[in-house]
Amino acid sequence: MLSKFDYYKPVSLEKATEYLNENSETKILAGGTDLLISLQKNKERCKHILDIKAIPELNRFTYTEGRGYFIGAAITVNQISEEKLLREKYPAISQGADALGSYQVRNRATMVGNICNASPGADLAAPLLVYDAKVHIASSEGIRATDLCDFFTGVKKTILKPKDLVIGISIPDVERGDRSVYLRKSRIKGADLCNVAIALRINPENKLSIALGAVSTIPMRLFELERKIAERELTPELGDWLAAEIKTYINPRRDSIRSSPEYRYLITGVLAKRGLLKLIDKEGA
Amino acid sequence: MDKRQYKYIGKSPDRSEALEKVTGRAAYVHDMELPGMLYAKALHSPYARAKIVSIDVSAAKALPGVKAVLTGEDAPYLVGLYMIDKRIIAKDIVRYQGEVVAAVAATDERIAEEAVSLIKVEYEVLPSVQTIDEALEAKILVHEDINDLEYMKGVFFPQKDSNIASWNKTVRGDVEKAFEESYLVVENEMYLPAAAHTPLETHAAIAEADPYSDRIKIWSSAQSPFAVRQLMAKSFGIAESDIQVIIPYVGGGFGGKAGIHLEPLSALLSKACKGRPVKYKATREEEFNQLPTRAAMRGRIKTGVTKDGKITAMKVYYDWDSGAYADYGVNVGKTAIYSGAGAYEIPNVEIHSRTLYTNKVFSTAYRGFGHLETHWVIERQMDMVAQKLGIDPYDFRMINILGPGKTTVSGEVITESTGSPSDCLKAVAREINWTGYQSEEEREIQRKTGKVRGKGLALLHKAPAMPAFTSTASIIQIDGDGKVKVMIGAIDIGQGANTAMRQIAAEVLDIPLENVEVVWESDTQKNPYDWQTVASKLTFMGGNAVIKAAEDMIKQMKEVAAQVFRCDVSKLSHGDGYIYHVHHPHKKLSYGNLARGYSYENGNAIGGVIIGRGTYIADGLTNLDKETGEGLPALVWTYGAHGVDLEVDLETGDVHILKIASAFDLGQAINKKMIEGQIMGGVLQGIGSALSEGLKFNAEGKLLNPTFTDYKIPSAKDIPDEIVPILIENPQADGPFGARGVGEHPMISVPSVIGNALYDALGINFHKLPLNPENIALAIAAHHTS
Repeated sequence: MLSKFDYYKPVSLEKATEYLNENSETKILAGGTDLLISLQKNKERCKHILDIKAIPELNRFTYTEGRGYFIGAAITVNQISEEKLLREKYPAISQGADALGSYQVRNRATMVGNICNASPGADLAAPLLVYDAKVHIASSEGIRATDLCDFFTGVKKTILKPKDLVIGISIPDVERGDRSVYLRKSRIKGADLCNVAIALRINPENKLSIALGAVSTIPMRLFELERKIAERELTPELGDWLAAEIKTYINPRRDSIRSSPEYRYLITGVLAKRGLLKLIDKEGA
Repeated sequence: MDKRQYKYIGKSPDRSEALEKVTGRAAYVHDMELPGMLYAKALHSPYARAKIVSIDVSAAKALPGVKAVLTGEDAPYLVGLYMIDKRIIAKDIVRYQGEVVAAVAATDERIAEEAVSLIKVEYEVLPSVQTIDEALEAKILVHEDINDLEYMKGVFFPQKDSNIASWNKTVRGDVEKAFEESYLVVENEMYLPAAAHTPLETHAAIAEADPYSDRIKIWSSAQSPFAVRQLMAKSFGIAESDIQVIIPYVGGGFGGKAGIHLEPLSALLSKACKGRPVKYKATREEEFNQLPTRAAMRGRIKTGVTKDGKITAMKVYYDWDSGAYADYGVNVGKTAIYSGAGAYEIPNVEIHSRTLYTNKVFSTAYRGFGHLETHWVIERQMDMVAQKLGIDPYDFRMINILGPGKTTVSGEVITESTGSPSDCLKAVAREINWTGYQSEEEREIQRKTGKVRGKGLALLHKAPAMPAFTSTASIIQIDGDGKVKVMIGAIDIGQGANTAMRQIAAEVLDIPLENVEVVWESDTQKNPYDWQTVASKLTFMGGNAVIKAAEDMIKQMKEVAAQVFRCDVSKLSHGDGYIYHVHHPHKKLSYGNLARGYSYENGNAIGGVIIGRGTYIADGLTNLDKETGEGLPALVWTYGAHGVDLEVDLETGDVHILKIASAFDLGQAINKKMIEGQIMGGVLQGIGSALSEGLKFNAEGKLLNPTFTDYKIPSAKDIPDEIVPILIENPQADGPFGARGVGEHPMISVPSVIGNALYDALGINFHKLPLNPENIALAIAAHHTS
């Protein structure tokens, strides 16, 4: 590691935003599962490290009837995996959490970190997208919220400015009968990045939401496809149509070492169909 | 000895070092810190082939804490196992991406890394040799001086003005005539990519080179301390006896730590730092980029058969994409000419094995070297020929299988003592309930479920690949309490050798297992010689040496006891830690009483310190004839077979292994539990090669997957539902208690058996590894559109 940095671990949000304001070239440290690798390999350099794990607001992990969940930026992926109510209400999010990295990585990695790292294949992105999650961002100018679907701007790029700090993610409450599923395809069964990820959600009004990961420069919510689906009846036969149709929305990398575009096109269709069948099967999901 | 009476042989005692390892007490080179120690880091070439125009190390040298910066100018030494072709640091030209161009020693790793970042190298990028065909074309020579390189003559055959580091051949009978007379001739081309060893512990070495003499002391994670010593002495032009190599615990090697690797560079850095110890531990990226791999290989095979399934002729070209330096690669290539026809009797054979230089990371030994690769070709070809003939591939194998009275391609006649490949094949076929390929109708019924089952079989054989003169030794010393310490020259790198040697010594001496310790931390200053820890030869050769040392010890103790009892030595026997008179068993002396000489009541003493000595040499082996490949290369053949039952997801291409059965004729199990562990580990490593592993290079020779992010080895979740080890025990007459080696074998033929089962499931023949979900799914899609 060639970076030489100082390390600051504030206990208040104010101190944190102040520090960000005063120090350019600061990297924010939560779980560190992306940052430390990047620093070790000198892919990123920094002069300051701001550890956010001791900030009380960022350790909030609460559910409020009618408002849903708030998941603070210091909450680890395994904490999410272990949250029973969240698994009942938002199965795709729990399944995304279960699939991320390895158990050891999930012990440190955070949901917010996964989103802020903005990998196109971030396992928690597609599940959060189908639930209309919002990202809460603090800076010295105050706190603002933005829709997750507007958050990603490119491979490893987001709307965040250097002095911004994401404090958490909120997920609106869901009604009884709301169901979802997260499916992914990787090269091996154990810890691996995904080649294709898909989250599908069906609400009690039978409205289907779909989001994809790892098949374009950003994780995407497929609003247009959802509108087309809304015009159709949700039957098992729709699966084949969906498998073909969804391929027109993706744009996989041509030069990826992990998978050829051909395979990603194929699997996107396969997983979309499987996900749909799981959701409309009364026994499933 | 009747095997049913064994006390320790064939049982399953725990590994002797198990407690130390699971509690984290076992210390590896990685853990070692010495007073005044410095840390090394290297600068690697970003190009596959380039001229080094200039190197500026001034900024690196000026950095506080930096004690030495070396470039190729400072290291005018060539090193090599069989071809002396590799510089310790590249000079004038780099031959692969990842080659060391400069190295730094500094007071800590961070400073060393920063210093490396300050070295400025100007390269002139040159066109490079990236493919097997480019290597054969020889428009560019990887080694422009190939005609002048020093090499092991009579064994390897480098070709003039070419990229062929060695061209080995077997020519037996008349293949062309036999093809003409064949009922059917089947030709195929198979391929597998380069693969990494991925030991848990990366390479690490610490060197302390006396600046005032030639003496060098090394601690290394190497498999073969005596080979390190010999190769380094030759390279530096110093005496072997001036080099001391110490091996503490080793975290896996799989062949990647055989030969010589980080030791000479660490030694040069230490010398440049006035003898301060210098530690070089490879990062995982260096493990992939800089340190050697398993070669990629292309096999072009042609098989001729009679109508009733007898193989009459086989012609194969094995071309090894072996990277920039020969290292073990030429020997890997050599195995193909005596082993590369499979465990079959074939009257007319032509095998050409060409180890090729290319501008990629160089290759070396990897568990069962040469065999997983050649068996991918042979055992897939056996199935493809059987398909064309319309014969059950089990029957086709059995028609041609080696056995007593049959002759190998090198002209060796197999005997009962060699073991039985057919026992192995029968056992796995029974275990997976093999009844022949399923029909297209049966497949069609399954297809509707989205998943298809398939079964496959594959045979294998392997003999140690080693020089005809390979030898090893053992010394056993005894304490006053009758406990013994065994020293061998080979290394327990995790395979459990020391536990096996302990069992053998306890059995021969007839003393409790806890009274035997095999000494860890092998040291060339103290341990007796062993050629190398490779080739699954340790149990066989080391085991025989330990038997001889233990017998020698008993003989010495009996000689003293015979004086005490005033009887002939022939009247004495041993058991339970005593030498006793066979007719008057109450006349007995404990080993402890004889360990340091026997003392009479009046103080007279006879005998002396008892030290057992045993040596074993691979006698009777010969070099193979340059033109025909005729000779005796095999000290011991171990036969084996795999049978697999798997399921393929027709849409995703996922392979789920329900059961894999693996049978080996290992003569006599020394430690059942450890053998079963070896089989499970080897099978899983083979599954890695079969399903997910493989180095990927871009057109310019840059390695694209030098980390575990994109080099995927099997994880715990990828373990088959069931792995069934089957131990077959047809003893080898000159094996220790009849045993043969089996350490490497479980990995061999695993890709082939999976490929064969995929044919059964899908009706598709795969020719390339890996059989990852993507390759399978796209093949299924193409198969159904065609």
